Amino acid sequence: MKQSFVFSGSGGQGIMSAGITLAHTAIDMGKHSTFLPEYGPEQRGGSAKCTVIISDGEIISPLPKKCDILVAMNEQAYSKFIDDVKAGGTVVVNSSRVKDTDRQDVKTISVPVDDVALELGNVKVANTVLIGVLIGATEIISREAVIASLGEKFKEKSPKIMELNVAALEKGIEFGSKA
Amino acid sequence: MEKRFMKGCEAIAEAAVRGGCRFFAGYPITPQNEIPEYLSKRLPEVGGAFVQGESEVASINMVYGAAATGTRALTSSSGPGISLKAEGISYLASAQLPAVIVNISRGGPGLGSIQPAQSDYLQATKALGHGGFRAMVFAPATLQEAVDLTYNAWEYAERDRGPVLILMDGCLGAIMEEVELPEMKELNYDNTEDWCLARVNGREDSHMITPILPELALEMLNKFKGMTYKMWEMADVKVEEYLLDDAEYVVVAYGIAARVAKEAINTLREQGHKVGMIRPITLYPFPKASLDNLDYEKVKAIIDIEMTIPAQMRDDIELQVKGRCPVHEYGRSGGILLDDDGVLEAIENIVKGGA
Repeated sequence: MKQSFVFSGSGGQGIMSAGITLAHTAIDMGKHSTFLPEYGPEQRGGSAKCTVIISDGEIISPLPKKCDILVAMNEQAYSKFIDDVKAGGTVVVNSSRVKDTDRQDVKTISVPVDDVALELGNVKVANTVLIGVLIGATEIISREAVIASLGEKFKEKSPKIMELNVAALEKGIEFGSKA
Repeated sequence: MEKRFMKGCEAIAEAAVRGGCRFFAGYPITPQNEIPEYLSKRLPEVGGAFVQGESEVASINMVYGAAATGTRALTSSSGPGISLKAEGISYLASAQLPAVIVNISRGGPGLGSIQPAQSDYLQATKALGHGGFRAMVFAPATLQEAVDLTYNAWEYAERDRGPVLILMDGCLGAIMEEVELPEMKELNYDNTEDWCLARVNGREDSHMITPILPELALEMLNKFKGMTYKMWEMADVKVEEYLLDDAEYVVVAYGIAARVAKEAINTLREQGHKVGMIRPITLYPFPKASLDNLDYEKVKAIIDIEMTIPAQMRDDIELQVKGRCPVHEYGRSGGILLDDDGVLEAIENIVKGGA
């Protein structure tokens, strides 16, 4: 089993961070993974994209043209990458920012991740909500492994940050499993 | 062995430290900034020194200075910065000083693009600087290979007294993969007295390093280097030969391009097409024999795949093919990446077209 993910949005939305968390978790689960970031010269606000591959076997090429799962955090990212999703693939859109979705041959999961994150208290955890959606909607990574990986990532931060991220993750799983 | 999920630039930086690197000087340029960033923290931890130079020219000359003391020295840059370092690299070659240079290449020519590309093959293999010297050029395709080659790069640089180049594109610099890191090497300065300055490391004689040699001495050096390069061809070629036994079509690709090509080859093999690959790991010395020894009764065409346009390795390929079959090329450039579908289609067109 091999699946490719594209996370896309703008710089500052936690695109790279979400991609790394997914890839890292997959490795912790004994799978193979690659993470490839692509961005322009801007630090904030420019286009941000990363490709993550998760596979049971060795990953040969890290440069797929088409992905199985696209995560689009804003309108621009959606229109730029929607044609790169395989027919029958899955698209997760941040419906707080992406209003129109038009492809019929893919499964579209719309979650207002910005609003969900704001409700939890911080828009910064929008990307953790997303990871939750992926856990709920696919079976490629487990909730426990993501929590372990987040724990590692935030081990030097205050426990409140971890609590907030776990809450965001649970919220995302809820949306993802309903989809 | 220690397994870590690491970014390409950081993995080779750590491999350099474990391979004995204790001095780095460089000047920032995308997409290799994570190498100096990592080493600025890491080198002081092992008693090494990190310098962000005021320019590329200054940095390569600091590497020259550090190498002259017997210290394992490194610099890294990307295409435009390597061009600026060219003079210093040539001086390292003339002074017979060992050093390792990393090029995480991007789109070119000129300022080009900050996105990945394999646009520096010719610079790396033919003229890394003026004056006609050669450097051994390693071109890894995976981070594990990058770690292993970087870890041992100083052994080659010190054995043959000269610069060694590690050439990776921006994809491999930025990608994160799992790597196994080797043990920290025990440093041994005993053999450095052959090239390092007098009164360094307990040395008492008056060895001098000079860029100026009388004509005869310079010609002697050049003859000796010429022999060294021949030796490399006999002893140091590294190449992966993939599914060549029955191959009717042979892809030649290195680095990231070889990974994308291999994926396509596997797909084509499942469809019954006899496609194989020659992947140079050393771009210099080039794996001439792998190409020369192909069975041209069977091989219908060679396909050179590179993430640059026009293909730069093609001349080296054609010199070995000697007109025995057609050579095709496919690539993307300017910072546009190769991808699985594009490469598969390019090979498919040639295979199915019977070209």
